[in-house]
Amino acid sequence: MTAPAITETAGFSLASPRLTRVRREVNATVAVMARDITITLRSPGTLLMSLAMPLVMMGLIGGNLMQNMASGLHFEFGEFMLVGMLVNMLFMMTTMGMINLIDDTDNNFSSELLVSPVSRYSIVIGKILGSSFSAIISSLGVLVVGFAMGIELGPWQLLALLALSPLMCLAGGALAVIAMGVIKNRKAANMVVMFITMPQMFLSGVIIPIGSSSGVLFVLSRILPMTYCVDLGRAVVYAGTPSYADVVLFNPAVSLVAIAALTAVFLVIGTWLYARSEKDK
Amino acid sequence: MPAIIEVENLVKRYKKSKESAVRGVSFSVQPGEFFAFLGPNGAGKTTTISILTTTLSKTSGEVHIAGFDIDKQAREVREHIGIVFQRPGMDLTLTAEQNIRFHAAMYGVFAYRPTFKLMPAEYRDRVVRLAEIVGISDALFRPVGKLSGGMQRKLEIVRSLVHTPQVLFLDEPTQGLDALARRSLWDYVDQLRRQLGTTVFLTTHYIDEAEGADTVCLINRGAIAMCCPPAELKANMGADTLEDAYVDYLRADGAADTAVEASLEVLS
Repeated sequence: MTAPAITETAGFSLASPRLTRVRREVNATVAVMARDITITLRSPGTLLMSLAMPLVMMGLIGGNLMQNMASGLHFEFGEFMLVGMLVNMLFMMTTMGMINLIDDTDNNFSSELLVSPVSRYSIVIGKILGSSFSAIISSLGVLVVGFAMGIELGPWQLLALLALSPLMCLAGGALAVIAMGVIKNRKAANMVVMFITMPQMFLSGVIIPIGSSSGVLFVLSRILPMTYCVDLGRAVVYAGTPSYADVVLFNPAVSLVAIAALTAVFLVIGTWLYARSEKDK
Repeated sequence: MPAIIEVENLVKRYKKSKESAVRGVSFSVQPGEFFAFLGPNGAGKTTTISILTTTLSKTSGEVHIAGFDIDKQAREVREHIGIVFQRPGMDLTLTAEQNIRFHAAMYGVFAYRPTFKLMPAEYRDRVVRLAEIVGISDALFRPVGKLSGGMQRKLEIVRSLVHTPQVLFLDEPTQGLDALARRSLWDYVDQLRRQLGTTVFLTTHYIDEAEGADTVCLINRGAIAMCCPPAELKANMGADTLEDAYVDYLRADGAADTAVEASLEVLS
């Protein structure tokens, strides 16, 4: 049997029309996201970590706080902490997932990404959404651990939080892209992830109310997207309850606008830094 | 016919370097031409090819690919080129087919689907037939990390051609390949040029691979020393083979001695 001629087989575009510009960008974002999800599914370590994190964060840290700190508060601390931990997990796992931008540079796959004729935003957003996969697994783990600790949310509250989770992952990932845009190696990236995630947990009111923050801590809490994500999550969960005024800091619309604005700013800066770090040497 | 690659006064100075890696390089490549870029290590070959493929910024100069400016129309340039990198740029955890599918999606040739079976029949048929041609059928659904270096190189070439680029950049594509793998890869590239008229821009350390080039360009210390057909280069240097001509030139220029001295210095 003779081999087919190369003209019939070498390229697809001879017979296939290219996708439209918008579809190409969406297609590229989906492909980048699907690749990261495939990599996660093939990495037992990452999956195990995604499931172990809720046990540590919610079970050990959260459990300890509930037993020792909740008694003096005017509201139900379990729900307060559950929403905080849920958002924290989305941010933390998405940020950790973004480290694979460094891995891509190390194994030169970033070259394949960056020579593609698509917007750098499509690549970065695809990366963030791909990293969100393990983040959402972890956040589901938080709900399971919370349930085991006796903290329950209603089905509508759960659905609302689930619907908001991609936006929250995007906000967390956008901040991480800025860091990855200026870091060159994995060791430094691991340290920076800790540097980003741990202070955020306290400054954004994940486990401690921040209504009385002042000075520098007040300013820092207001420029972190996680503050608004946590508050929006609590606005959903505490809506219509007497504790709403004690727990929720901002109008949900204000939180949504702040999340969108901060995410957009971080995404623009991060994408610029990422593209520049690869090209400007 | 207008040139498909036009480079004028290209200069690249890396941020932490005192000297320019590429110093005022100018050349042009015609459509369908096989253009070989030769030079010793550190001559500026990879820097030039990186700028031409939009992966590295230039310090100054003008570069047009397929009529598009690499700074102002980088996206259009990327649509018209295919690249085989010096350092393989495959995802080793994905299978060969997944790498091809990813590339096809990034270039908008096909809408992405999560599995091979869900991709359109046209995609599936062509990937299978392409794999037959380059002899990687058995490896199509194996993780790339488990393929031999030769297979990975072939796969990279297949991948770089999926969107039918007008210009194929090959940056030392046969590095680390055995003689048989090199031969089969070049047979495939030759077929491509003949049947599709693809322009090939090659950098290589294997001088014999440039024997069949239409134009050979010698670059040394960031500047072009000579740009002409291989026969003319051999005649100019009074050499029988391109390799002899190349080595004679480097010796005359002092580059070979400098390289030997440098290596002896390191050894001592």
